[in-house]
Amino acid sequence: MEEFSGEEGSFNSEEASNSVKECIQSIIGEESYRQDTVNQWTAKIVEQALTLLVKQTKSYKYIVSCAVMQKSGAGLHTANSCYWDTVTDGSCTVKWENRTMYCVVSVFAVALTP
Amino acid sequence: MDEFQLSEETAFVVDDITTIIQDTVETTIGSSAYQQNRINQWTSSVVETSLNQLSKLGKPFKYIVTCIILQKNGAGLHTASSCFWDNTMDRSCTVRWENKTTYCIVCVFGLAV
Repeated sequence: MEEFSGEEGSFNSEEASNSVKECIQSIIGEESYRQDTVNQWTAKIVEQALTLLVKQTKSYKYIVSCAVMQKSGAGLHTANSCYWDTVTDGSCTVKWENRTMYCVVSVFAVALTP
Repeated sequence: MDEFQLSEETAFVVDDITTIIQDTVETTIGSSAYQQNRINQWTSSVVETSLNQLSKLGKPFKYIVTCIILQKNGAGLHTASSCFWDNTMDRSCTVRWENKTTYCIVCVFGLAV
């Protein structure tokens, strides 16, 4: 995964990362994994994160994807690869956990052509 | 999903892409059992090979491919994604694959340039 550092006109992955962390914390921070509500949580996380990102910088197309997994000893591995403009486009991934679950959120930002 | 597409050459054809991804995962993992020390290679191989195949299609799209590989042991997993893009041109597709010991979920997002 590329570490895309902030420059004028490029994706600020640190800012996005912080926004996403706050988002996750506010939605599932104190919760325990529950089969019947995990559906709502992932939906809320992606929607709220997307809304926050669009408010910050409108000149990008965004894709936010979120995976929530119960902690039960299973192995999980994720990977992303992107075919895009490496100067203007960027991504960031946030890994979060509490006592009962893992949450991995990836944000991809693709510059809108003016 | 709506079928609105400009033309065959410039469209994101979900069926073609699904086939490409399924073949890639089948070739990379196939009937292998989940192995902690190989999983790294598998996820990398799936995303890289998929991306290569997609770029060979020569369509005017930027692509993002994400892959999740999960060991089957009863754990719950839920994924979601939301996109802020051009609804008329941009598309995504998700392929879910499994064998006896492993689940693999691959998402492809295509953004028109």
